[in-house]
Amino acid sequence: MEALKVQKAPLPWWAAGLVLGLVQVLAVSLSGPLGVSTQYVVVDAKIMNEIAPEYTQAHPLISSDKYQKFDKGWWLDVGLVVGALLAALVAGRFKIRTTTVWWQINHGSSVAGRFLAGFLGGILILVGARFAHGCTSGQFASGWAQLSLAAVPFTITLFAFGMITAWLVYPKTPDIEK
Amino acid sequence: MSENMISFIIGALFGVALLLGGLADPDKIIGTLRLKDFHAMRTIAVFVLIGMLGTWILEMEGVAHFSVKPAAIVAVLLGGALLGVGFGLTGYCPGTGLACAAAGRLDALITVIGMFVGALVFILIYPSIVQPIDAIANHGKKMLPEITGISRTVWVLALSGVGFFVLLVTGLKKKSLPQSE
Repeated sequence: MEALKVQKAPLPWWAAGLVLGLVQVLAVSLSGPLGVSTQYVVVDAKIMNEIAPEYTQAHPLISSDKYQKFDKGWWLDVGLVVGALLAALVAGRFKIRTTTVWWQINHGSSVAGRFLAGFLGGILILVGARFAHGCTSGQFASGWAQLSLAAVPFTITLFAFGMITAWLVYPKTPDIEK
Repeated sequence: MSENMISFIIGALFGVALLLGGLADPDKIIGTLRLKDFHAMRTIAVFVLIGMLGTWILEMEGVAHFSVKPAAIVAVLLGGALLGVGFGLTGYCPGTGLACAAAGRLDALITVIGMFVGALVFILIYPSIVQPIDAIANHGKKMLPEITGISRTVWVLALSGVGFFVLLVTGLKKKSLPQSE
Protein backbone atom coordinates (compact mmCIF):
# COMPACT_ATOMS: atom_id res chain seq x y z
CA MET A 1 0.00 0.00 0.00
CA GLU A 2 1.48 3.30 -1.05
CA ALA A 3 1.47 6.35 1.21
CA LEU A 4 -1.87 8.11 1.46
CA LYS A 5 -1.50 11.07 -0.83
CA VAL A 6 -3.72 12.52 -3.53
CA GLN A 7 -1.92 11.98 -6.83
CA LYS A 8 -1.51 14.75 -9.38
CA ALA A 9 -3.70 14.51 -12.50
CA PRO A 10 -1.89 13.40 -15.69
CA LEU A 11 -2.57 16.82 -17.34
CA PRO A 12 -2.18 20.29 -15.77
CA TRP A 13 -5.47 22.18 -15.25
CA TRP A 14 -5.15 24.46 -18.28
CA ALA A 15 -4.46 21.58 -20.69
CA ALA A 16 -7.20 19.46 -19.10
CA GLY A 17 -9.76 22.26 -19.45
CA LEU A 18 -8.66 23.06 -22.99
CA VAL A 19 -9.04 19.46 -24.17
CA LEU A 20 -12.45 19.06 -22.46
CA GLY A 21 -13.60 22.38 -23.93
CA LEU A 22 -12.50 21.38 -27.43
CA VAL A 23 -14.39 18.07 -27.10
CA GLN A 24 -17.50 20.10 -26.20
CA VAL A 25 -16.98 22.40 -29.22
CA LEU A 26 -16.53 19.36 -31.48
CA ALA A 27 -19.73 17.85 -30.07
CA VAL A 28 -21.74 21.07 -30.59
CA SER A 29 -20.44 21.41 -34.16
CA LEU A 30 -21.05 17.80 -35.27
CA SER A 31 -23.84 16.34 -33.18
CA GLY A 32 -25.12 18.16 -30.10
CA PRO A 33 -23.77 19.15 -26.67
CA LEU A 34 -22.37 16.53 -24.29
CA GLY A 35 -24.77 14.65 -22.02
CA VAL A 36 -24.53 11.35 -20.17
CA SER A 37 -27.28 10.61 -17.65
CA THR A 38 -30.30 9.96 -19.92
CA GLN A 39 -28.86 6.60 -20.96
CA TYR A 40 -29.13 5.15 -17.44
CA VAL A 41 -32.90 5.59 -17.78
CA VAL A 42 -32.83 4.19 -21.33
CA VAL A 43 -31.19 0.96 -20.14
CA ASP A 44 -33.74 0.56 -17.33
CA ALA A 45 -36.60 1.48 -19.68
CA LYS A 46 -35.59 -1.24 -22.14
CA ILE A 47 -35.30 -3.83 -19.38
CA MET A 48 -38.71 -2.82 -18.02
CA ASN A 49 -40.19 -3.14 -21.49
CA GLU A 50 -39.05 -6.78 -21.47
CA ILE A 51 -40.38 -7.70 -18.02
CA ALA A 52 -43.40 -5.36 -17.75
CA PRO A 53 -44.40 -4.28 -21.25
CA GLU A 54 -47.88 -3.07 -20.27
CA TYR A 55 -46.57 -0.80 -17.52
CA THR A 56 -43.83 0.51 -19.80
CA GLN A 57 -46.08 1.27 -22.74
CA ALA A 58 -48.54 3.17 -20.53
CA HIS A 59 -45.75 5.18 -18.84
CA PRO A 60 -45.69 8.91 -19.70
CA LEU A 61 -41.88 9.01 -20.01
CA ILE A 62 -40.35 5.65 -20.91
CA SER A 63 -42.94 4.68 -23.50
CA SER A 64 -41.45 7.30 -25.83
CA ASP A 65 -39.09 6.36 -28.64
CA LYS A 66 -36.22 8.33 -27.04
CA TYR A 67 -36.21 5.93 -24.08
CA GLN A 68 -36.72 2.72 -26.06
CA LYS A 69 -33.83 2.97 -28.50
CA PHE A 70 -30.03 3.02 -28.24
CA ASP A 71 -29.35 6.14 -30.30
CA LYS A 72 -26.39 8.54 -30.49
CA GLY A 73 -26.56 9.33 -26.74
CA TRP A 74 -25.99 5.66 -25.96
CA TRP A 75 -23.00 5.50 -28.29
CA LEU A 76 -21.50 8.57 -26.62
CA ASP A 77 -21.60 6.77 -23.25
CA VAL A 78 -20.12 3.58 -24.72
CA GLY A 79 -17.32 5.69 -26.22
CA LEU A 80 -16.77 7.39 -22.86
CA VAL A 81 -16.14 4.03 -21.15
CA VAL A 82 -13.82 2.81 -23.93
CA GLY A 83 -11.90 6.11 -24.03
CA ALA A 84 -11.45 6.25 -20.25
CA LEU A 85 -10.25 2.62 -20.17
CA LEU A 86 -7.69 3.20 -22.96
CA ALA A 87 -6.47 6.48 -21.42
CA ALA A 88 -6.08 4.85 -18.00
CA LEU A 89 -4.08 1.97 -19.50
CA VAL A 90 -1.84 4.21 -21.62
CA ALA A 91 -1.23 6.73 -18.81
CA GLY A 92 -0.49 3.97 -16.28
CA ARG A 93 -3.54 4.99 -14.20
CA PHE A 94 -5.46 1.72 -14.51
CA LYS A 95 -5.56 0.22 -11.04
CA ILE A 96 -8.05 -1.89 -9.13
CA ARG A 97 -9.09 0.31 -6.20
CA THR A 98 -11.90 -0.01 -3.68
CA THR A 99 -11.75 3.37 -1.95
CA THR A 100 -10.24 6.86 -2.20
CA VAL A 101 -7.59 8.83 -0.34
CA TRP A 102 -10.08 11.36 1.09
CA TRP A 103 -12.33 8.51 2.28
CA GLN A 104 -9.49 6.65 4.02
CA ILE A 105 -8.19 9.74 5.79
CA ASN A 106 -11.65 10.45 7.17
CA HIS A 107 -13.21 7.01 7.62
CA GLY A 108 -10.36 4.48 7.75
CA SER A 109 -9.68 1.61 5.42
CA SER A 110 -13.07 -0.13 5.70
CA VAL A 111 -14.34 -0.76 2.20
CA ALA A 112 -17.91 -1.63 3.24
CA GLY A 113 -18.61 1.95 4.31
CA ARG A 114 -17.25 3.38 1.08
CA PHE A 115 -19.35 0.94 -0.98
CA LEU A 116 -22.53 1.70 0.98
CA ALA A 117 -22.00 5.46 0.63
CA GLY A 118 -21.19 4.97 -3.05
CA PHE A 119 -24.37 2.97 -3.67
CA LEU A 120 -26.66 5.43 -1.87
CA GLY A 121 -24.84 8.35 -3.50
CA GLY A 122 -25.38 6.76 -6.91
CA ILE A 123 -29.15 6.64 -6.33
CA LEU A 124 -29.22 10.33 -5.34
CA ILE A 125 -26.99 11.31 -8.29
CA LEU A 126 -29.22 9.78 -10.93
CA VAL A 127 -32.59 10.74 -9.40
CA GLY A 128 -31.22 14.30 -9.08
CA ALA A 129 -29.77 14.41 -12.58
CA ARG A 130 -33.02 13.33 -14.19
CA PHE A 131 -35.14 15.66 -12.03
CA ALA A 132 -32.88 18.45 -13.29
CA HIS A 133 -33.08 17.29 -16.94
CA GLY A 134 -29.32 16.74 -16.99
CA CYS A 135 -26.19 16.17 -14.95
CA THR A 136 -22.81 17.84 -14.58
CA SER A 137 -22.32 17.25 -18.33
CA GLY A 138 -25.71 17.88 -19.93
CA GLN A 139 -27.04 20.52 -17.57
CA PHE A 140 -23.92 22.23 -16.13
CA ALA A 141 -21.16 22.12 -18.79
CA SER A 142 -23.48 22.02 -21.81
CA GLY A 143 -26.00 24.33 -20.14
CA TRP A 144 -23.38 27.07 -19.74
CA ALA A 145 -21.95 26.42 -23.22
CA GLN A 146 -25.41 27.20 -24.63
CA LEU A 147 -26.24 29.84 -21.98
CA SER A 148 -29.40 27.99 -21.04
CA LEU A 149 -31.59 29.50 -18.31
CA ALA A 150 -31.82 26.16 -16.47
CA ALA A 151 -28.06 26.11 -15.88
CA VAL A 152 -28.36 28.99 -13.40
CA PRO A 153 -30.54 27.39 -10.67
CA PHE A 154 -28.85 24.03 -11.31
CA THR A 155 -25.36 25.41 -10.69
CA ILE A 156 -26.43 27.11 -7.45
CA THR A 157 -27.87 24.02 -5.74
CA LEU A 158 -25.38 21.54 -7.25
CA PHE A 159 -22.33 23.31 -5.82
CA ALA A 160 -23.98 24.53 -2.59
CA PHE A 161 -25.15 21.03 -1.64
CA GLY A 162 -21.97 19.44 -3.03
CA MET A 163 -19.75 21.66 -0.89
CA ILE A 164 -21.85 21.29 2.29
CA THR A 165 -21.94 17.49 1.89
CA ALA A 166 -18.20 17.23 1.21
CA TRP A 167 -17.49 19.45 4.22
CA LEU A 168 -19.61 17.19 6.48
CA VAL A 169 -18.35 13.87 5.09
CA TYR A 170 -14.67 14.76 4.57
CA PRO A 171 -13.60 17.15 7.36
CA LYS A 172 -9.94 16.01 7.36
CA THR A 173 -7.65 16.92 4.46
CA PRO A 174 -5.05 14.43 3.19
CA ASP A 175 -1.67 15.29 1.67
CA ILE A 176 -2.11 16.53 -1.88
CA GLU A 177 0.70 16.17 -4.44
CA LYS A 178 1.49 19.56 -5.98
CA MET B 1 -19.79 8.44 -41.08
CA SER B 2 -22.96 7.53 -39.24
CA GLU B 3 -24.38 9.66 -36.46
CA ASN B 4 -23.76 6.86 -33.94
CA MET B 5 -20.13 6.49 -35.01
CA ILE B 6 -19.54 10.24 -34.62
CA SER B 7 -21.06 10.13 -31.13
CA PHE B 8 -18.94 7.12 -30.20
CA ILE B 9 -15.77 9.01 -31.19
CA ILE B 10 -16.85 12.17 -29.32
CA GLY B 11 -17.63 10.01 -26.29
CA ALA B 12 -14.23 8.31 -26.49
CA LEU B 13 -12.46 11.68 -26.64
CA PHE B 14 -14.57 12.86 -23.70
CA GLY B 15 -13.60 9.73 -21.71
CA VAL B 16 -9.91 10.27 -22.47
CA ALA B 17 -10.15 13.95 -21.47
CA LEU B 18 -12.04 13.24 -18.22
CA LEU B 19 -9.46 10.65 -17.21
CA LEU B 20 -6.29 12.51 -18.18
CA GLY B 21 -7.73 15.82 -16.98
CA GLY B 22 -8.33 14.55 -13.46
CA LEU B 23 -12.10 15.10 -13.33
CA ALA B 24 -12.53 11.32 -13.38
CA ASP B 25 -10.76 11.20 -10.01
CA PRO B 26 -12.97 11.38 -6.87
CA ASP B 27 -10.05 12.68 -4.78
CA LYS B 28 -9.68 15.68 -7.10
CA ILE B 29 -13.44 16.39 -7.01
CA ILE B 30 -13.67 16.21 -3.20
CA GLY B 31 -10.52 18.37 -2.93
CA THR B 32 -12.20 21.03 -5.04
CA LEU B 33 -15.55 20.89 -3.18
CA ARG B 34 -13.57 21.29 0.07
CA LEU B 35 -11.63 24.23 -1.45
CA LYS B 36 -8.34 22.47 -0.67
CA ASP B 37 -7.24 21.42 -4.18
CA PHE B 38 -8.11 23.77 -7.03
CA HIS B 39 -7.09 21.51 -9.93
CA ALA B 40 -10.63 20.31 -10.73
CA MET B 41 -12.19 23.75 -10.22
CA ARG B 42 -9.76 25.40 -12.62
CA THR B 43 -10.14 22.55 -15.13
CA ILE B 44 -13.93 22.94 -14.99
CA ALA B 45 -13.64 26.73 -15.39
CA VAL B 46 -11.51 26.40 -18.55
CA PHE B 47 -13.76 23.56 -19.85
CA VAL B 48 -16.88 25.72 -19.50
CA LEU B 49 -15.22 28.87 -20.89
CA ILE B 50 -13.88 27.13 -24.02
CA GLY B 51 -17.25 25.43 -24.53
CA MET B 52 -19.05 28.78 -24.20
CA LEU B 53 -16.67 30.67 -26.50
CA GLY B 54 -16.68 27.86 -29.07
CA THR B 55 -20.48 27.54 -29.06
CA TRP B 56 -20.78 31.33 -29.50
CA ILE B 57 -18.48 31.22 -32.55
CA LEU B 58 -20.30 28.19 -34.00
CA GLU B 59 -23.64 29.95 -33.51
CA MET B 60 -22.37 33.03 -35.39
CA GLU B 61 -21.29 30.70 -38.20
CA GLY B 62 -24.74 29.08 -38.06
CA VAL B 63 -23.38 25.58 -37.46
CA ALA B 64 -24.13 25.01 -33.75
CA HIS B 65 -26.33 22.07 -32.70
CA PHE B 66 -28.26 23.19 -29.63
CA SER B 67 -30.05 20.97 -27.14
CA VAL B 68 -31.38 23.25 -24.41
CA LYS B 69 -33.05 21.66 -21.38
CA PRO B 70 -36.34 23.03 -20.05
CA ALA B 71 -35.98 25.58 -17.24
CA ALA B 72 -38.35 23.87 -14.81
CA ILE B 73 -37.04 25.98 -11.94
CA VAL B 74 -38.25 23.93 -8.97
CA ALA B 75 -37.36 20.55 -10.50
CA VAL B 76 -33.92 21.85 -11.51
CA LEU B 77 -33.22 23.31 -8.04
CA LEU B 78 -34.32 20.06 -6.38
CA GLY B 79 -32.40 17.90 -8.87
CA GLY B 80 -29.25 19.98 -8.45
CA ALA B 81 -29.52 19.58 -4.67
CA LEU B 82 -29.96 15.77 -4.80
CA LEU B 83 -27.16 15.41 -7.35
CA GLY B 84 -25.02 17.75 -5.25
CA VAL B 85 -25.40 15.56 -2.15
CA GLY B 86 -24.47 12.44 -4.13
CA PHE B 87 -21.58 14.30 -5.79
CA GLY B 88 -20.21 15.56 -2.44
CA LEU B 89 -20.64 12.13 -0.84
CA THR B 90 -18.96 10.05 -3.58
CA GLY B 91 -16.88 12.40 -5.76
CA TYR B 92 -18.62 10.94 -8.81
CA CYS B 93 -21.22 12.10 -11.31
CA PRO B 94 -22.89 10.09 -14.11
CA GLY B 95 -20.03 10.53 -16.62
CA THR B 96 -17.02 10.36 -14.30
CA GLY B 97 -18.54 7.39 -12.47
CA LEU B 98 -18.48 5.43 -15.73
CA ALA B 99 -14.94 6.63 -16.53
CA CYS B 100 -13.63 5.76 -13.04
CA ALA B 101 -15.26 2.31 -13.13
CA ALA B 102 -13.50 1.74 -16.48
CA ALA B 103 -10.19 2.73 -14.84
CA GLY B 104 -10.53 -0.06 -12.25
CA ARG B 105 -12.26 1.75 -9.36
CA LEU B 106 -14.67 -0.77 -7.85
CA ASP B 107 -16.30 1.85 -5.61
CA ALA B 108 -17.17 3.76 -8.80
CA LEU B 109 -18.73 0.57 -10.20
CA ILE B 110 -20.88 0.35 -7.06
CA THR B 111 -21.92 3.98 -7.60
CA VAL B 112 -22.79 3.19 -11.25
CA ILE B 113 -24.98 0.32 -10.02
CA GLY B 114 -26.57 2.78 -7.57
CA MET B 115 -27.23 5.10 -10.52
CA PHE B 116 -29.08 2.35 -12.41
CA VAL B 117 -31.20 1.84 -9.27
CA GLY B 118 -31.69 5.62 -9.16
CA ALA B 119 -32.90 5.54 -12.76
CA LEU B 120 -35.46 2.89 -11.77
CA VAL B 121 -36.60 5.01 -8.81
CA PHE B 122 -36.95 7.97 -11.18
CA ILE B 123 -39.08 5.94 -13.61
CA LEU B 124 -41.34 4.71 -10.78
CA ILE B 125 -41.89 8.16 -9.22
CA TYR B 126 -42.11 9.99 -12.57
CA PRO B 127 -45.93 9.98 -13.00
CA SER B 128 -46.81 10.70 -9.36
CA ILE B 129 -43.99 12.99 -8.16
CA VAL B 130 -41.70 14.19 -10.97
CA GLN B 131 -44.33 15.38 -13.45
CA PRO B 132 -46.23 17.63 -10.98
CA ILE B 133 -42.98 19.20 -9.70
CA ASP B 134 -41.67 19.63 -13.25
CA ALA B 135 -44.76 21.67 -14.12
CA ILE B 136 -44.10 24.29 -11.39
CA ALA B 137 -42.43 27.50 -12.68
CA ASN B 138 -41.48 25.76 -15.93
CA HIS B 139 -40.23 28.39 -18.37
CA GLY B 140 -39.50 25.95 -21.19
CA LYS B 141 -36.32 25.59 -23.24
CA LYS B 142 -35.12 29.16 -22.79
CA MET B 143 -31.67 30.66 -23.14
CA LEU B 144 -30.33 33.64 -21.20
CA PRO B 145 -29.94 35.93 -24.26
CA GLU B 146 -33.63 35.61 -25.24
CA ILE B 147 -34.91 35.86 -21.65
CA THR B 148 -32.86 38.95 -20.77
CA GLY B 149 -32.70 40.67 -24.17
CA ILE B 150 -28.93 40.92 -23.70
CA SER B 151 -26.97 39.54 -26.65
CA ARG B 152 -25.00 36.27 -26.52
CA THR B 153 -21.82 38.26 -27.17
CA VAL B 154 -22.29 40.38 -24.03
CA TRP B 155 -23.15 37.30 -21.95
CA VAL B 156 -20.10 35.40 -23.20
CA LEU B 157 -17.76 38.33 -22.53
CA ALA B 158 -19.20 38.96 -19.05
CA LEU B 159 -19.05 35.28 -18.04
CA SER B 160 -15.52 35.00 -19.45
CA GLY B 161 -14.62 37.81 -17.05
CA VAL B 162 -16.11 35.80 -14.17
CA GLY B 163 -14.18 32.71 -15.31
CA PHE B 164 -10.86 34.54 -15.48
CA PHE B 165 -11.56 36.00 -12.04
CA VAL B 166 -12.03 32.45 -10.63
CA LEU B 167 -8.74 31.38 -12.26
CA LEU B 168 -6.96 34.43 -10.88
CA VAL B 169 -8.27 34.07 -7.31
CA THR B 170 -7.62 30.31 -7.08
CA GLY B 171 -4.16 30.87 -8.56
CA LEU B 172 -3.26 33.51 -5.98
CA LYS B 173 -4.52 31.42 -3.12
CA LYS B 174 -2.77 28.17 -3.90
CA LYS B 175 0.06 29.20 -6.21
CA SER B 176 -0.93 26.27 -8.42
CA LEU B 177 0.22 27.96 -11.62
CA PRO B 178 1.53 25.48 -14.16
CA GLN B 179 5.19 26.55 -14.46
CA SER B 180 6.42 23.39 -12.73
CA GLU B 181 4.49 20.96 -14.95
